[in-house]
Amino acid sequence: MQAVESFLLESMQVGVLLLDAERRLKFWNRWFRSHLANVPEFAYGEYVEDIFPEICNSRLYAAIDQAEKFNLSSMLTPGLNKPVLPLFQKPADRKINRRMQQLIHVIALRHEHYKCMLQIQDVTATIKREQRLKVQSSQLLDAANRDALTGVGNRRRFDSALQELVYQSRQKNTPLSLLIIDVDHFKSYNDFYGHPKGDECLKQIAQALQLGLRQDSIDSLCRYGGEEFAILLPDVDRETAFNVAERLRIQIEGSRLENRALAKSPYITVSIGVSTLHPDSPQPVQALVTTADLALYQAKEAGRNCCMSYDMQSAKTSYVPEHG
Amino acid sequence: MILSDLQKDALGELFNIGVGRAASSLSQIVRDEVSLSAPQVTLAKTEDLTSTLLGAEFSEFSMVSLDFSGPFDAKAMLLFPERNALTIINSMLDAELTPEEMSEFEQEAMCEVGNVILNACISALADMLDIEFLGGLPEHHFGDHQTIAAMSADQESVVLLLQIDLLISQKLIEGRFVFLLSIDSLQTLLECVDGFLASQGMV
Repeated sequence: MQAVESFLLESMQVGVLLLDAERRLKFWNRWFRSHLANVPEFAYGEYVEDIFPEICNSRLYAAIDQAEKFNLSSMLTPGLNKPVLPLFQKPADRKINRRMQQLIHVIALRHEHYKCMLQIQDVTATIKREQRLKVQSSQLLDAANRDALTGVGNRRRFDSALQELVYQSRQKNTPLSLLIIDVDHFKSYNDFYGHPKGDECLKQIAQALQLGLRQDSIDSLCRYGGEEFAILLPDVDRETAFNVAERLRIQIEGSRLENRALAKSPYITVSIGVSTLHPDSPQPVQALVTTADLALYQAKEAGRNCCMSYDMQSAKTSYVPEHG
Repeated sequence: MILSDLQKDALGELFNIGVGRAASSLSQIVRDEVSLSAPQVTLAKTEDLTSTLLGAEFSEFSMVSLDFSGPFDAKAMLLFPERNALTIINSMLDAELTPEEMSEFEQEAMCEVGNVILNACISALADMLDIEFLGGLPEHHFGDHQTIAAMSADQESVVLLLQIDLLISQKLIEGRFVFLLSIDSLQTLLECVDGFLASQGMV
């Protein structure tokens, strides 16, 4: 190697290794040596897998082999590969065996002495920052999708879940059901008790609904509007969805949330509209919401504290009247 | 310029060998069985490469490309619709990311996945056609069909187009393999393929 080339490689702030056509080490630069746990006295001319036995059967070895045999270059990213080379950022890291995170480029060369170059970058700091940003981003996303008052999902979460679940239901060929739950006479409750009590009541309803849902469906509960909640139930048919609705209606009634605003019912009750979208139905996504809304309207018409289910096939609603 | 049935079959077979090799490398990364298949080869002019030819899902996609040179020069590209790219990355990294969360870190991982598949196909070509290439490093882009046209320096370039089906963690992911090359390079590639067919006693 020319003196100037060697000087330049020695000065670089990334690791550089040069191998010949037999995978023998021809050169490693200062950066690489200085981050190694142990620098063997005689390394030049040795096979790279003899210097670093643990690279055998690794992606790195396969990439070097591909460069040697086919002149093809590769990159090995920290996301998909454990840190394969024994490189350490600080001397203290060696004691606790905490290797630096490595981004490795294996570059095929056309040169009479060198067949392959390994370029190693320390991306430990980048990865740490990524992890921190990811935690922050998921916290922010979570906050952006949560209803501030009740803690359940908000309308934004509902809209994106609806798109995603309709897509999945068509992919998997399974039905998708929607429940829209409306608190009965909530306006009079608010007028009678005042808005702070009204807020408190919505919180308790959200809690009661969560109690009535199976663990894997809790996340699908969203506050759809003022006193309306929505629940998307993937892979649930019309009949089962109606049973879930009925269970939730009874759960709320049984919670005995006092309501003295109206003489006719002493406790808070809800009306629920149910609709089911079949994967082979030509109906647009929005039809699920429209028909559940229609069923809800009919539940209100039928005297409240009941569930109504819309049948897309017959375009009719049916219901089970209120219990006790 | 059109491909004869024999040339089509031979290219299809070569790419199938390539994706077979890629599948075993990918299985090593995910420690789970990955299967890949590449049916049918189509030849088209780059300017005709619209989303109609690519498929409706490919209006916008994630793309890994790398250049290689040898008896003929080409740009090899692997395309996945954004949603599919995300599925691959989430399976590989065992994560549940949304498109907004896809950072440099995940794009690099996507780059490596593309790199593995493309290198395997190019090495199969080199092996079977008995020729030597020099392959460059992969790059990752987001783009549409115009991005592919913009990659071509040559006005009169053509593309070899293959559908790639990747089965990973029980999910079937559809992608496209695109080989962008000049008319001259295509000519040379086809001569190599004819040579291969002759050596197999097929012509």
